[in-house]
Amino acid sequence: MIKFTLNGRTVETDAPVTGRLLDLLRDEFELIGTKEGCGEGECGACSVFVNNLLQNSCLIPIGSIAGADIQTIEGIMETEQFKVLDESYSIAGGVQCGYCIPGMIMASDALLSKNPHPSEAEIREGISGNLCRCTGYNMIVDAINLAAKKGDGLWKRK
Amino acid sequence: MEEKITAYCFDRLDQTLCQLNREDCAIIAGGTDIMVLHKSRRGVPSKIPKPIVFIDHLSELKQVYQHHNDLHIGACSTYSELLENRLIPMPLKNAIKTIAAPAIRNRGTLGGNICNASPAGDTLPLLYVYNAKLLLRSVTGDRLVAISDFIQGPRRVQRFQNEILIEIILPSVLEEDAHVVFEKVGNRNADAIAKVLFAGFIRISNDRIDDIRIAFGAVGATMVRSTVIEKKLVGKTIPLADADITTIVAAFDKVIRPIDDQRSTATYRKTVALNLLRYFLSLKQYQTN
Amino acid sequence: MSLKDISTSVPKKDHKGKVSGQLPYISDVKLDNMVYGVLYRSPIAYGKIISIQLPNLPEGYEAVGAEHIPGPNYVKIIKEDQPIFADEWVNYIGEPILMLVGKDLNILYSLLHDVKVEFEEHQAVYNLDEAIKQESASGVMASYEFGESLENISAIEQGAHQIIEEEYETGYQEHVYLEPQGMLAIYKEDEIVVQGSMQCLYYIKNALLSALACGDDEVRVVQSPTGGGFGGKEDYPSMMACHVAVAAKVTKKSVMLVFDRSEDMEVTTKRHPAKLKYRTALDREGNILSMCVDLFLDGGANEGLSSVVLQRSLLNSAGVYKIPHFHAKGYVLKTNTVPNGAFRGFGAPQSFSGIESHIGHLSKLANIDPLEYKRKYLVKQGDLTITKGKFHDPILMEEMIDDLLYTSEYKKKKEKFQRLNQQDQRYKKGMGTSLFLHGCGFTGSGERDHIKATVKLVKSKDGKVSLNISNSDMGQGIFTTLCKIVAKELDLPYEEILYPYPDTKTVPDSGPTVASRTTMIVGKLLERAAKKLKAQWQIGVEQEVVEHYIHREMIPWDEKTFTGDAYPAYSWGVNIVEVEVDMLTGNVKLEKVYANYEVGKVIDERIMKGQIDGGLAQGLAYGYLEKMTSKQGRIQQKSISDYGPPTSLDVVSIESKVFDNPYADGPYGAKGAGELTLIGGAPAVQAAIEDALQISYQQIPITPEVIIESLWMKEGERD
Repeated sequence: MIKFTLNGRTVETDAPVTGRLLDLLRDEFELIGTKEGCGEGECGACSVFVNNLLQNSCLIPIGSIAGADIQTIEGIMETEQFKVLDESYSIAGGVQCGYCIPGMIMASDALLSKNPHPSEAEIREGISGNLCRCTGYNMIVDAINLAAKKGDGLWKRK
Repeated sequence: MEEKITAYCFDRLDQTLCQLNREDCAIIAGGTDIMVLHKSRRGVPSKIPKPIVFIDHLSELKQVYQHHNDLHIGACSTYSELLENRLIPMPLKNAIKTIAAPAIRNRGTLGGNICNASPAGDTLPLLYVYNAKLLLRSVTGDRLVAISDFIQGPRRVQRFQNEILIEIILPSVLEEDAHVVFEKVGNRNADAIAKVLFAGFIRISNDRIDDIRIAFGAVGATMVRSTVIEKKLVGKTIPLADADITTIVAAFDKVIRPIDDQRSTATYRKTVALNLLRYFLSLKQYQTN
Repeated sequence: MSLKDISTSVPKKDHKGKVSGQLPYISDVKLDNMVYGVLYRSPIAYGKIISIQLPNLPEGYEAVGAEHIPGPNYVKIIKEDQPIFADEWVNYIGEPILMLVGKDLNILYSLLHDVKVEFEEHQAVYNLDEAIKQESASGVMASYEFGESLENISAIEQGAHQIIEEEYETGYQEHVYLEPQGMLAIYKEDEIVVQGSMQCLYYIKNALLSALACGDDEVRVVQSPTGGGFGGKEDYPSMMACHVAVAAKVTKKSVMLVFDRSEDMEVTTKRHPAKLKYRTALDREGNILSMCVDLFLDGGANEGLSSVVLQRSLLNSAGVYKIPHFHAKGYVLKTNTVPNGAFRGFGAPQSFSGIESHIGHLSKLANIDPLEYKRKYLVKQGDLTITKGKFHDPILMEEMIDDLLYTSEYKKKKEKFQRLNQQDQRYKKGMGTSLFLHGCGFTGSGERDHIKATVKLVKSKDGKVSLNISNSDMGQGIFTTLCKIVAKELDLPYEEILYPYPDTKTVPDSGPTVASRTTMIVGKLLERAAKKLKAQWQIGVEQEVVEHYIHREMIPWDEKTFTGDAYPAYSWGVNIVEVEVDMLTGNVKLEKVYANYEVGKVIDERIMKGQIDGGLAQGLAYGYLEKMTSKQGRIQQKSISDYGPPTSLDVVSIESKVFDNPYADGPYGAKGAGELTLIGGAPAVQAAIEDALQISYQQIPITPEVIIESLWMKEGERD
């Protein structure tokens, strides 16, 4: 049995240790906000927080998460930061097909936690592991920029 | 039908070493390479053929410190941790910044990059020109090995079953009197696997070359470095004469033997590797960094 | 929210579910009675199946193949040449032969490993060059020829000062929609419900009616939230739908088929690689006297939509130019490679890249700035098209070009770059332009003869109005734009207009979601339906209104002679791109992108900007970044990073503007926009690279490998 914290709750699993955190989240815990786009760490659709750090859940073996604090998009959905991001993405028009978006929101939140007032270059760097094929990124960059302004003071280094 | 794989996750390094001494295990640090290497198809656990030992949580493997002018980097320091550490030299930070993207850098480790021994390992050419030494430990003791001896081929390293890579030591790197260049050529600006890697290291006194080291990545089975060719430049005056540059480029032309693959062509890799070399040798001034 | 100006942006209908990740895409769906399917695919490019040996299947596991298909064994598209499960010949690596179905994917994969198929291998045709060399009639899947007679052209050529011949090549382009393809067949006793990621519900329904040989009420197709399409989910999902539906019939269970990224990259359709040959007669001053274009598309192993793609390629073969004495012919050739299909632009990007390149090179010969040379030939309102149709509506291109020259400081920058390039030996800067159009809607009489779109509006007792149409929102935003049109027409708050995910049980066939037709054609039908509903509006009663497509006849299209109005209307665009090229590595860096468009009337500014930025990112990358190759029939780039679509660090901010030019037959004057935005990217990038390096190229993508080779050749010439 592997014990860890998932979105603030202590949970357990006996899933195989070489299984992927991504599948565990989606299949066992039915957290569908974490998406699979490539399975190789090249698209960012499966981004989650592991001990407050942005990581690709498709590359994380379940055996390695004992004691870890895992957060998915479902775990941050009620936060003030999420609300600001949600609104900013809406205003900036950053959402098209939507498949990359939960991962993109996680990356945005991670970036702003580390750097509450990023430059355009820093924003591009922050989401460089999150592939989006619809938007050409610019409206997502705008959304994060807007969120940084709207959420002034909200993001503090975790 | 599937046999259960055991995974070990000890609190301390010595326990981990004991286990490795008992059993042949697959060591996983960040796992960002191994999980792709042993990836199954969608929805199915990875097929790792041995018991697993996780080591990336071991605090003993995460220390970064200075000893005299040598820099000691714990093997399980993640790329992100190194980016934020003031001891890490800028060229190495620049190389790390070209690796994948933030989420991978939050997980991937420097030791992993070495032990994975990919011909396109992003940090490797720099570690070669820094003359990196690797500290390996087992229950029977420690040993030091030069990175160029350690890496023997694609995904082949000279690590014994009971050993763990503990530290990467960059000798004299903190003397800050060398000019170091790193270039990565990939197909795009993030999340790219290198097509060519280049690292150049030069130390000059009184307009003469004291020490010069050159390494190429992704153009052969391992990093390409030749101390024989490098020696030809020691003592030469800066800026180098065209004839000297031509001789050196011609010498590397013979030892660089890249391949065609889905990412690039052998011709491209070789031409660009030599272009970057020529450019490095043709610089009029070298500033220390 | 009430709408004053239709173009003013409103919140997107599907924003909430997407941003929280709680909107279920097909791979998020789990049903009690659900099993998975995995496909055994041909490991060889061409050959005959001799025998199939299955491993012992444990209880609950079944194999489904050609023998289980109730109807004919082909995926109904245009031609009957694409088997659902290959049972005699295999024509490409990755062609499905059978499907294993069961509960546990782990077990399925290991069973799949133990399937043994014996083949008699035959000599395959691996690429377009081989197919062209073969010159066999059996390899030609489609061909058309039109324009000035070749006798006339050869007379002109005899009197010409110079004949210029160029051969141009374009590569594969892979969609990389972020959501891999997925399809689920839900088994019920009296009906099979097929649900998944798709653009064209009725293409799938018709394919299922044929494959299952069943009655209209026995199959039902429902769109799931679709994580990007770009044409990749136009034709391909029909095959997957047949697979899961047949399997559901056989096993009496619900069957899910979801692709891995690598599987998706290896076996699904791509943009056709093309070869274009230009032969142009010039006078002493470099003016064009005549032009012949021969165009070859690599169809892959099955025809699919290739003949229609070829039509659009040919119709755009002269670009936005009025070329005197123009002749064109084109072929789709069969190769034993993965079938090629629809991709945003649908044959036009190949043609525009080719013609913009060729005209650019002609301008160099005439020693005139490329843009100035291009403007001499720009079509004007009232001009005939190359198929003797007419540009009926006003064309704003001159205005759009002038505006963009001003915005980009074109002249000043070009001079500056020349200066800088002399000083900097490593990095060279360049600037390139492209001019382009896109014919909106289906080619020719497609809407009238084949699609015959119908829309339905349903009003509930409480006054909410639902759009019952078969079009898919795959991210392009039609949930929002089409609802806006209806809301404005009915003078109702936008929030009270509903557009549920379409289900063929309730929606009529309003056509596929392709060809930049949805806003213009379906939007117009909805506008008319809304008008009608408004006229009959009764409070407190349920009401339904239906509208059918009406064809406005102009110059009738004749597919046989390839003459007439190929499209009812055109959208237009101008791009200017600045790049910096690293002479040591051949790497190209985008520095600035400027874009002006005219799409009639914008229905939602923010959504339009999304189309511009996203389309341009794909179009620019098609020109220099994204590279896919096939070797001995096998796709070489099976991962996203090996293929290399742009990341956020590869795209730059885009300065764009959209010009108003309302079109009478579009809703509020709107024309098509989705594909247009991709088309100009690649040719502008090519022109910019050529400007930076002063080298001409005959292909896209212009990868660093191509650049380094060309620099090496140039060096050789100098020595």
